[in-house]
Parts: sequence; structure tokens; C-alpha cells
Amino acid sequence: MSLEVWSLLALIFLPAIVGVLIGLVKNEENAYRIALATTLALCVPAVGLLGAFDFSNASTSQFEHSIPWVPGLGLEFSIGMDSVSLLLILLSVLLGPIVVLASKTAITKDRRMYYAWLTVLQGAMVGVFAAQDLLLFYICFEFTLLPMFILIRKYGSTNRIAASTKFFLYTFTGSMMTLAGLMYVVWFVAQDAQLGRWTLDIAALTHYAGDMSLTEQGWVLAAMLAGFAVKVPLFPVHTWLPLAHTEAPTAGSVILAGVLLKLGTYGFYRFAVPLAPEAFFEYAPAIAILAIIGIIYAGLICWVQDDIKKLVAYSSVSHLGFCILGLTALNVTGFSGSILYMLSHGFSTGGLFLMIGFMYERYHTRDMNEVGGLASKMPVWATFMVFFAMASVGLPGLNGFPSELLCLISAFQSDAAWNAAGEPGAWGASLGPWFAVFAGTGMVIAAMYLLYMVGKICFGAYKEPADHHPHDELPTDLNTREIITLTPLAIGCVLFGLQPTLLLDAVSDPVNNTVRIVERANGIEPGEASPRLIINEHADDQANDHGGDSHD
Amino acid sequence: MLQIIQPAQLAFPEPVEASVIAPYLFVSAAMFVIGLVGFLTRKNMIIMFLCTELMFQAAGLALIAFGRHHLGADGQTFVIFVLCVAAAEAAMALALVVLLFRHRESLGASAWKELNG
Amino acid sequence: MMTSSLLNSMVSTVAAIAPDTAGNAAQPAAVGHGPSWVLLIPFLPFAGFLLNALYAAFGVKSKLPAWTTVGLLACSFIATLSMFMGYDGTPYTVQAFEWFSIHYGDKSFVANFSFYVDTLTIYWMLFVTGLATLIALYASEYMSHDVGQGYNRFFAAFALFVVSMSCLVMGDNLIMLYLGWEGVGLCSYLLIGYFYKKPSAVAAAKKAFIVNRIGDLGLALGVYLTFVHFGTVQYAELFASETLQSYMAAASHGDFGAIPGEAQWIALLLMIGAFGKSAQFPLYVWLPDAMEGPTPVSALIHAATMVTAGVYLIARMYPVFLVSENALPIVAWIGTITAFLAATIGMAQFDIKRIMAYSTVSQLGYMFAGLGFLTPTGGAYHVLTHAFFKALLFLCCGAVMHGFAGQLDLRKLSGLWKVKGWGIVSLGMLVGCINLAGVPFTAGYFSKDTILAEAFVTPGYAFLGWVLILTAGLTAYYTFRVFFRVFVGPVEYHPGDELHDHDHDHGHGEEHSHDAGQHGDHHADHFHPHAPGWAINTVLVVLTGCSILATGLYFVGADKDAHTKHYADTMVSASSASYHSHYGTHAFEYYEKDPEHYPQPGHGPRGSIDAPLAMPLTGGDPHKMMYYISGVVGVIGIALAWLLHYHGRTKASECKMDAIAKRFGPLPRWAENKWYVDELYHAIFVKPLRIISHVFHWVDKLLVDGIVNVFGFLPRVFAWIIRPSQSGVLQGYAVSMAGGLAILLFVVLIIVSRAGGAS
Repeated sequence: MSLEVWSLLALIFLPAIVGVLIGLVKNEENAYRIALATTLALCVPAVGLLGAFDFSNASTSQFEHSIPWVPGLGLEFSIGMDSVSLLLILLSVLLGPIVVLASKTAITKDRRMYYAWLTVLQGAMVGVFAAQDLLLFYICFEFTLLPMFILIRKYGSTNRIAASTKFFLYTFTGSMMTLAGLMYVVWFVAQDAQLGRWTLDIAALTHYAGDMSLTEQGWVLAAMLAGFAVKVPLFPVHTWLPLAHTEAPTAGSVILAGVLLKLGTYGFYRFAVPLAPEAFFEYAPAIAILAIIGIIYAGLICWVQDDIKKLVAYSSVSHLGFCILGLTALNVTGFSGSILYMLSHGFSTGGLFLMIGFMYERYHTRDMNEVGGLASKMPVWATFMVFFAMASVGLPGLNGFPSELLCLISAFQSDAAWNAAGEPGAWGASLGPWFAVFAGTGMVIAAMYLLYMVGKICFGAYKEPADHHPHDELPTDLNTREIITLTPLAIGCVLFGLQPTLLLDAVSDPVNNTVRIVERANGIEPGEASPRLIINEHADDQANDHGGDSHD
Repeated sequence: MLQIIQPAQLAFPEPVEASVIAPYLFVSAAMFVIGLVGFLTRKNMIIMFLCTELMFQAAGLALIAFGRHHLGADGQTFVIFVLCVAAAEAAMALALVVLLFRHRESLGASAWKELNG
Repeated sequence: MMTSSLLNSMVSTVAAIAPDTAGNAAQPAAVGHGPSWVLLIPFLPFAGFLLNALYAAFGVKSKLPAWTTVGLLACSFIATLSMFMGYDGTPYTVQAFEWFSIHYGDKSFVANFSFYVDTLTIYWMLFVTGLATLIALYASEYMSHDVGQGYNRFFAAFALFVVSMSCLVMGDNLIMLYLGWEGVGLCSYLLIGYFYKKPSAVAAAKKAFIVNRIGDLGLALGVYLTFVHFGTVQYAELFASETLQSYMAAASHGDFGAIPGEAQWIALLLMIGAFGKSAQFPLYVWLPDAMEGPTPVSALIHAATMVTAGVYLIARMYPVFLVSENALPIVAWIGTITAFLAATIGMAQFDIKRIMAYSTVSQLGYMFAGLGFLTPTGGAYHVLTHAFFKALLFLCCGAVMHGFAGQLDLRKLSGLWKVKGWGIVSLGMLVGCINLAGVPFTAGYFSKDTILAEAFVTPGYAFLGWVLILTAGLTAYYTFRVFFRVFVGPVEYHPGDELHDHDHDHGHGEEHSHDAGQHGDHHADHFHPHAPGWAINTVLVVLTGCSILATGLYFVGADKDAHTKHYADTMVSASSASYHSHYGTHAFEYYEKDPEHYPQPGHGPRGSIDAPLAMPLTGGDPHKMMYYISGVVGVIGIALAWLLHYHGRTKASECKMDAIAKRFGPLPRWAENKWYVDELYHAIFVKPLRIISHVFHWVDKLLVDGIVNVFGFLPRVFAWIIRPSQSGVLQGYAVSMAGGLAILLFVVLIIVSRAGGAS
């Protein structure tokens, strides 16, 4: 095994091992120190992987390693990554030290268990993105629930019991259905004459799954949506998120917004699209409509919140609508924008959650009617707050903008009527300008609620809760530790805003590949004159010989 | 060359017809039903326990009969096990009954229904 | 003055470069790569921003940020000047770094962080950086009460504004324009909300950002549509694209049916963005409120530069606007409506800064009307002259506000000219006012006339022309209303409320802690206004000079071969905003002198040059006629103001107008209350949306989440139903076990017997 594989294994298993050790240490302060040291140390192999990754070959899975697990069923412990996974792994690892640092004063009781689970969660998240085997993916995917459940259940605020229960049961129920759908694909591929053996290898499944009929794909898609859409969360199945976010400790919220929600969109990108390409194409407009409803509906709900954390939580629902919109456009711009969104959303929203956490530690309230005008007491805090709010609004030059721009453009583009030449990679599903127009109103609404929040809490006359008294350890404004916590996120915001090309180049190959999968499954070949016509023909003879032209 | 001879073959060289073991099975079935009815109808825990023993032995009898029918040692082996378990169980069960009696001053099974839903 | 000499040299260079640029006017020129020092223009202010941010982080308590900003902005201005001098007539791009590049098939989405330099860019950048430098200098004194408090923050945002404005104007693609567009919006937000403890300032800042965002949505969609339709967002590629060329050819013959609908939509969408940023009719409401910001900000951002971004956008994308059948007429109508509406509101206001704000809205309306009347030259020229005189006017108002403790009510100030130390301010105000009022031979007069005349040249706009002439009269009236009330007449002044502000809840509140000695007793009777210091006076003198000298730009820089008349025309004609309006250039003169060589002037609705001569106004060249008509109208307005607000006035608060106003019934009050447009918007947009949001909130809580909870509750219900089966009685379980076993055996028996029967 190469050094890179060892690094990857370390990223997955070291946190789990250290998590157990943290549970065993005597001194609670040491728990914090070990967790911080571990999460920081994990950045080394992560950066090493980044350095070793061959970006000229970004769509092939690299650092692959597989250990037979249950050979009869084709089950393997198989890991590896393409550039999309790599970037998401980096995001997860980077958030580790940040959330540990942010928890130093926020968590005061039973810290061993807290840091133990926080560390374990790190490994599970990396596992999700690194998995090349369907079952391994699923195991890690589900395993992330457990640490998060405990973090909310034990360290959340007043309504934490209900929040954690709902979080666990809601997402778990959804993902059980996803499992069923995924297993159907496995079964189908095993029956497929072309392969004829059991396999859970994601690449192999992706290759053969397109043979399923449209009806089969529709059911598989529905099953996958049940899990992934809840996780994202998409409009009607989003209600667990505001609750979980509001009740979770700051670190939990950051991880939840930064990575765990991305498991859903990653699932969309990695499984829902390639495993059911025709069905996804067929139902993309419906999913896009849900996403757009989410953008507007959740945005407007944000606008009337009193609870600042709930506001930011709903804003996640609104923002991730753009991410899904980009995915449903099914073209290169859309996928690029969507992946960019997955990466960048964590920075701005994570930043906002940290800001709220720091405020909460000092004022012990999340009610925007109780505090206000903090800019005069906490100028540094207010500066960061305005900065992250602007990043979240989608100000050009910061991280929200490139992804939002690309997602909207892709929606505009993804209609053959606008692309008479039928450029491969450009047209995608049948969305169209109206989708972009309605989704675009999200830009205005985002400005409305975020400025409402900033205006209430940062500006105006200073206001503090009646029983406010200064924190024992923390100064009035942010201390150095807190600023250090925020700095990487702020840098990330600017970097993503000004250099999205770095990321766009990195994910260009996988994205183009995925688009080709969709196009091929739907009968589009490069240089076709009118994709719309071909789709219609294809839909007609679907009943007779589905997928006959899928992979030749 | 050493010829390996199955012990069962030594004693019973031939399998028997099903009709030969039928009476044994009838007895076994009768014992089982008596035990079952007893278990379901009697209140006294000791009697109920005895009824379970009856059912055990009915099963054991059937096992031996089938073992003869198939000409295998498995049936008899099982019966040995069942006897052992039954013996151990008898000790345990009587101890439990005594314990339960001390709590409620009654041997009736209906005195205990803490597990209702 | 350094700046005015630079201006002179700038004027002389126009003539030098003009012949080169003229040749390229019609067809898009080949785009080369420019010198990389051009990047200094945006990056020097950016360095200023970073330095000021550092000062803020380390709590610098001196005027260091002001000098840093002024110095770097001056360097940026000098760089702009050298860009101007060195421009050889060929547009070029300079790339800073890659920003977006996505490739698919053989197509791509490319928008780099690079800058496009042509004459339009230079034209805009010259006054942006120049004015920014001057106003930063002004602000160094104006904001001096906040040294060590918000001073660093102010100049950081100020520098960032110049960066954003440079990106907006110089960006080589629409995404860069959008970056600048939102960037200036952010800076505007930060600077309007500079006095963040004041709820009205916070509300105004929020309003400005959100209203602008509505426009930005239109702009964004327009940009996307541009990309989807033309396959590029880069100006150079866009203007050179054959598709656009063919559309333009079709449009010049009025054949709009040949142009696809979505190409025509682009202009309509971009237009919404322009309306937002430039405060045009439905979206103008934020600009008057934006006066909550410090006055230098109002002068630079909300009068001279940022609000002209909409004009820039339309001028820059003029080819796209020309191919849209309805876009330019809508622009003309909206511009006229805005000009008139804002003028009527301006007439009834008492806060001099608000009057200036409404006059800005009104003048922006003129610029839009000019663009709509097919004279981008007129629009752009008015942008330039307006930038000078409106900045001057605002800075004079700011000086008054600064000296009189925030007093801005024209009923409480009078005769300032005679107060010691206020001569320069009063003179500056007078120069600004005559420009704004359109007194003959001022820069404002010429630039406004270029627009007005075009209304009578381009078919179909004569009515709008008359409305705008009427508006010019109103403008002259309200402008001189301010002048006659505040600067001349009996000396009388009452300090503003900031003097009594001891609780520091206002940015200016800080002044009284250390200025107490200077002000002496805080009582109003003993109030001594503090006259502006050297920095403010210097800036006012320079701007006064610029406002006067801007007239000269109307007479220099002409290029007869390209039929251009003056500096602005030369600059605009050589850019993408080029449009051959033969009237806009006094083509009559050329035609009369040399009919062989010059075409008969005239143009159809979309510049079909072969269209017959349009109607002359009262029998003459409209451009010449307009000199008389608008001159007379302006003088009438001033005379009315003199009669009603100066003649026989003995007190600051009373004048003859008061009695006349009563005759108009409720109209003056309605106008003072801005025709209740804000209230209307609140009632028909904000409130319903707020209600909808609340409804959504409850729907989410009760219905969407309720359904989830119902599903969560179902297992509990099921358990409740089957619960009795767990009786706890030992023999009960035994019975069910035996019964279950019996059933199972029975089933097995059936299956076995079936199988037996089959075989």
C-alpha cells in the first residue's frame, strides 16, 4: 500500500481510534487538547493527498485500495477518490480543527464524550466521500447520524431531545428507502447479462445501471430521493433541519451545514444522477421546481424569524435549493456550480453559525429582539458578521457568487430551445429561463433576510438581555482563539470568490464525465443537431428496447 | 486397510418401515397433547412445569422413533441432550418456583403479570 | 491647481487622439493586450482598502487613513490620466487573473478578472478617480470628528468603493461589471449605514441594498441571457459577434421581426438593473433615503459616480439596446417620468440635501432620456457635467451641514454669503446652481440641451421633449430656491440638532466632547458656525473650477472627419456606445457648409441613416433652437425663485411662496411627502410579502412539519391498538404460541399435501 492509501486510511480510522482514547482520558482539558491535536494533525495527510492527486486525470478514482470483505456478494472495503471526493474530504478535514477550537469555552460539561464523538464524526465523513463501494458508502453515510445525534442530544439547547429524535428518525427513515433503491440497482446489475455477478463497486454499478428501464429508474430515483432529499434538505422534507440546527451546539451546526448536508447533494451527484440518468432527466424539472419553491419559501420564512439561528438554518434550505437547481440542470455549468456550492456553502454558513455561537456564549440568547447594536460593543465580531452575511448574500468576489451564478446560468441554458445547435454539455434537462427567473428572486430574498438580520443584531442602538452579565473567561469582543477560528473560513470565502477557477478546473473532468453519462443514456451524441427531437424519439421507442443504445 | 464400521450398523443392520414406528409416534403425540393441555389449563406452577416435562419427553420419544426409522444416531444424541437440559432445568425451575412463591405466597401463575403492555 | 491643469492637458489630448479613434468608430476594433500598469488603477485603491482595514484592526487614531486614501487615489487618477494619454485608438484588455472558465464541447464560459480599455472606459474612469481623490480630501476634514472611531472604517469603504467602481467601468466582461455593480452596492450600503447607531441610517442602507438587488436580479438575468444567446459575456467578443452585427443591420432598417425575441429581452432585463442602480422611476426610492450617509458619500456615490453606473451600462451595451424594439423607448419614457416626478418632489422639500438628492434623480432621468433619444453622447456628457456640479453642490451642502451642526432645513438658514468664512462655499453653490439650472453658457446648459434637442429630432419623442423642457424650468426653480433662501437674504441661522446631542448616539455626537471650547456655549443664541477649513475649501475651489471648465469640453476635442463635435462626443463615438446621430453633432452646420461631403442629417427610429430629415423645431435646427428655449425656460425658473423666495424676504422661515403654496390645496403637502410612493410600496409590496412570509412560517410549522409529526405519531397509534394483546398472563402467551404453532403446522400440512398431490 502506498503512502497515499495509508494517509487516506488514517483520515478514516485515526479519528475513530483517537475518539476511543479521548473517551478514556482522565482530565477533561486533555480531551480538548487531544481532539485539537488530532484534527490538526489530520490536515497533514489531507494536504498530502491534495499534493499527490493527479489533477490531469481527475475523473478516475485515485489512491484506490480495496480489501475483499464478503467476496461472494462482491462486497469490498474499497476506497479511493476522484477530485470531487478529494475536495469534499478536504472540506471535512479542514472543518475539524475549526469546530474543536470553537467549542473550547462553549462546552463545559462532559467534554470527553463530546470531543470523542466530534472526532469520530470526522472519520465517518471522510469515509463517506472516500468510499468506492456502495455498502461502505452507505455504512459511513448512516454512521454519521450517530455522533451528530449524540452531539445534539447531549450538548444541545432546551429543545434538544425532540430535535435529535426528529433529526435521527427523519433522516434514517429516508435513507432506509435509499438503501432499498441502491440494493435494487445492485440486484439489477447482478442479473444483467453483461456483468452477471454481484458487485457493489460504484463505478461498475454506474456503468451498468443505465440499462434499467425508465420505470425502474423512476422507482430507484424515488427511493434515492427519499434519503438524499431529506438530507439536503429539499423543500417539503426540510423541517428537521431548522430544529436540529437551532438546538445543536455551535460545532454541530457548523458540521451539519458544512458537511452533513452535502452528503445529500453528494448523493444526488454520485448516485441519483448516474444510476438513474434517464429518470433523472425526466423528473429534473419536478425536482427543480421543488428546489425553487424551497429557495423562495424558506427565504421568506427566514425574513420573519426572531431566532437568529433558525434564520440561518432556513437560509441553508434556501441556499441548497440553488445547489439542487444546478444538479437538475444536468449540464456542465450546472454540475460545476453545484459542486462549487457544496464546497463554498460550508464556509459562509459555517461562518455565520460560528458568529452566532460566539454571540450566544456572551449573551445567552438567540432572540434578535433581545440583543441589538452589537457593532458598538463588538466591532470585530460585527465586521466578521457583515462579511459572512455578504458572502451568504452572494456578493461577487466572495464565495456565494460563483456557484450561484453558475447554477442560475445552467438553469437558463438547460433548455434545448435556447441551444438550437445542441452543444453537448450545454443543454441538459428541460428547465429554461423561467426556472432561472424564479430562482433568481432568491437573490433578492437573501438580501432581504440577511440584511434584516445584520441590521437588527449588529446595527442600531445597543441592546442586551435584561439579565446580561459579562462572560467569566471571554472578553467583550472576540478573542484571539475565536478570530483564529474564523480566519480560515474568511480566507476560504475570498479565495473561492476570486479563484473559483482552481476548483472549476479541478472538477472539470468528473463533471464532463457525468454529463456524458446523462447524455449518452438519453441518446445525445456530440454534434447532434437537435437534442429535443432525439429525446422524443427515444421516449417513443423506450417501451420496446430501452437502453439499447445506452453504451455502445 | 482398516474398515470403518458405523456403530449403528452393528446394532441395527436394517432401517425399519414407517408402520413399525407408528405406535411410538402415537404415544408420543398423546403425551405431548396431555402435556400441552395441562400446561394451558392448570394454575399451579409446579403442575405446569411437570406438563412441560411431559412435552419434552414426548418429543424425545418421537426423536428416538425417527432415529430408528432413518437408522441414524442423531435422534438418540438429541434425546441425551434433552435429558440433560431437562434435568438442569428442573433444578432451575423449582428454585424459581420457590422464589416466586416466597414473594406472593401463591403458586398460581396468574399472580405474575407485570409484563402486561 | 494641479487638477485643473491636468484637466486642461486632458482636453488638449482629446484632439490629438481623436483622428485615430474615429476610424474605428463604426466597426468593433481588434482587441489587443494592454500594458499591465493599467491594473494599478483598481489595485491602488485596493491597497488603500487593505491598509485602511489594517489601520482599523490596529486602531489607528490619526488622519493616516485619509492621507493614505487620498494619496493612493491620486496615484490611481494619475494612472488613469496616463491611460488616457497613452491610448492609441485601439481598445485593449489587461488580464489580472483567471476568474471563471468552464469548458464543454467546443464552447466555454469565460469571464476573467480582466479590464477592457476603450474611450468610454477612459471617459468614465477619469472623472471617477478624479472626483474620488477630491472627495477623499474633502472627507479627510469633514469626517475629522470621527478620527479614531469610524474614520478608518469610512476610508476603507471609500477605497473599496473606488475599487468596485473601477471594476464596474473597466471590467472586460459582464460578470466583472456585475462584480463592480454589487461591490458599489455593498460600499453604498456600508457608507449609508455609516452612522450605524441611527435606526434611520440602518433602514436607509438596507433599503438601498434591497431595492438595488431587485435591479441586480434583472441585470443578472440579462447577463445570463446574453451568455446563453451570444455564447459570451466578454465585450470584445460580444461586439464582434456576427450574430449581433446581423441584428444591428436588421435593426437599422427597423426590421425587428428578424431579431429573435430573446435577444430583444436582453436589453429589457439589463435595463431593470440600470433603473435600480441609477434610481429610475419604479426603483428610485432608495436614493433620497441614502442621504443618511455622510455627505462626501452622497456627493461621490449617490450623485457623481455610482448612480451613473446605469447610464454606463446602457451606453456600454448600446448595440444590444439598439437591437431591442422596445428597450430604448422605455428608457426614454422612464427617464422622462423620473425627471419630472423627482423635480416635483424636489420643489416641495425643505431639507437642502434631500432637494439635491431629488435633483440627482431628476438629472439621472435626463441622462436616461438622452440614451433613449438615441444620443448616448448627450447622456454621457450630462453624466460628466453633472458629476462635477452635483458633487460641488453636495459638498457645499455638506460644508453647511458640517458648520451648522447638521442644520439642513432651508427655513432655518439664510444669508450665509455674508457670514465670515463662507464665501467659497457660497460661490461654489452659486456655480453649482447655475449649472444645474441650465443658465446659458454653463456646462449643464450645453449637456442638457444636447439631450433636449435630440427629443425633437428622433421621431416620436417630441412630447417627452416638452415635458423635459418643463422639468428644466422646475429644476431652475427649485435649485435657486435653495440658493436664494440659504445663501443670500438676511443673515439668520439656527444650529441643527447635533449640537444638543450629548449621548453620542450619532457619529457627529463625538464632536462636542472636544469641540466644546470652540463652540463656546451650546445654546443656540451663542452658536458660532465653524467655517470650513483648508481641505474643504480647496476641494470646493477645484470643483468650482472644474464645473466652469467643463463648459470648455463642449468646444474642444472635436473630430470633423467623424462628425464629432466635442470631447464627450469623440470619446463616446469611438466606443461601443457609438451611434451616429447626425443631429447630436450639429450636422446641420456641416451639411449646410458642405452638402457634398456630409450626409443630410436625420435618422429613423433606430439609426437608419438614410431616413429623411426629421422635423425641425420651430423651423430651425433643434440644437440651435434649444439654446434659446431652454435658456429662456431656465431664466424664468430662476426669476420665479427670486420673486418667491428672495424678493422682500426678511426672515429665514417666511417667504412669498408660503402664501402661494396654500392656493394649491394639498398638492404641496403631497409633494413634500414624496407623493406617498414609499407608503404605496410599503402597502402593496412590503406588507403583503411580510404577511405571506408569516403565513409560510406558520404553514411550515403546522402543515409541513405537522405532516411529518403525524407520520412520527403513526407507530404510536399502531402500538396503542395492539397493546392489549400483551396481557402479561403466562398462559395467555402459551395459548397464542400453541395456536400459532397449530396454524403454522396446518399451513405446512396444506402445502405438503398440495405438493404431494401435484407430483
